Amino acid sequence: MATPEALSKKPLHVLEKIRENLEKLNDKMEVMIELQKHGKKDTLQPIPDAPLDVMTLLGMPDHLRKTAMSVCRMGRATAAEIADQTKRARAVESAYLNQLVIMGYLKKERTGRKAYFYVERENQGGP
Amino acid sequence: MMGKIIAVHSYKGGTGKTLLSINLSAALAERGKNVCLFDLDFRAPSLSMLLRVDKAEHYLNDYLNNTSDIHKVLVDLSDRVGKKGKFFVALANPGTEAIRDMSAKDRKWEMRALARLLALRTPLLNDSGFDYLVFDTSPGLQYSSINAIVSADLVLVATTFDRSDVDGTRRMLRELYDLFEKKTEVVLNKVLEVSSKTSKEDIRTKLKDIYQVPLLGIVPCFCDILKAEGGTIFPQEKPDHPFTRILNEMADKIDGLP
Repeated sequence: MATPEALSKKPLHVLEKIRENLEKLNDKMEVMIELQKHGKKDTLQPIPDAPLDVMTLLGMPDHLRKTAMSVCRMGRATAAEIADQTKRARAVESAYLNQLVIMGYLKKERTGRKAYFYVERENQGGP
Repeated sequence: MMGKIIAVHSYKGGTGKTLLSINLSAALAERGKNVCLFDLDFRAPSLSMLLRVDKAEHYLNDYLNNTSDIHKVLVDLSDRVGKKGKFFVALANPGTEAIRDMSAKDRKWEMRALARLLALRTPLLNDSGFDYLVFDTSPGLQYSSINAIVSADLVLVATTFDRSDVDGTRRMLRELYDLFEKKTEVVLNKVLEVSSKTSKEDIRTKLKDIYQVPLLGIVPCFCDILKAEGGTIFPQEKPDHPFTRILNEMADKIDGLP
């Protein structure tokens, strides 16, 4: 017979997986809501690994520029940390950040419960 | 209090950015502030020549290319400003090949350069105790200048009453600084006839009207400045000159900003 610990471990694992998937779904929904709100004009064509340079920042719609600038300054941050800087709601920042990921300007990485957003600067070194 | 990054920019060339950058940095250092002046005009470097530094082994170019540490780039010129505060400079490489190399960089490189500029805060403002980093930039809208503006806490715009400059500056304030939500102050340079108090007030009102941003200072057209050929550090070498007085007022205002 299984011990009580083993019994409780399995459902916990399943629940964790469900929560993770729900979070991913939530991110996607937030992006879709944002896309609808602002029309299709800021979606452009997603460019793989588009450089987030200052000229690109200048050409962005205001609401996305604010978010992108904060990520540039912080290097790597969660939606909550960005919201803290921009004084906007976390859910709003999460949507903008995910939109910037779709557009190819940011990368996203999950570490446990938290999702981090950052600017990919591959071969940071050489000219 | 945490130190600040000040970018000195303008729409047109020849408005006095470099003159202002050198002398404001010196005025701040004379107040006991620790200042580092950066030559970010990679297309037309001038600080090494104006400040007669020929011993630089590493340049800002190398820092941005990630081939040198920032501390190797800094040159100590504190003895030029009376040793009250530190006065360091970071130079742009004046060699023709370096200029050519810098103007051929792509967007990816410029993106990394922005990150390198943003990354100066911790080692210089936090760890090395600098109070001000002053970025002297290239005029107009180009990568190196916009990178500098984005990295800065305060942008000083050098402008003159030249008509094309006024128009371009106004547009730049709306379409560049506003978009990046930058705190901006205008310095009006080379002004003729500011002798009377009323004419000064007139200029102030006029400028507020045109630019809608605070005015840091008005600098009259001085023949002595032209005669000095850009190499004079006024607060140190000419403490009683009217330009020094204006610089001191501007330095006080900057130091008093929140």
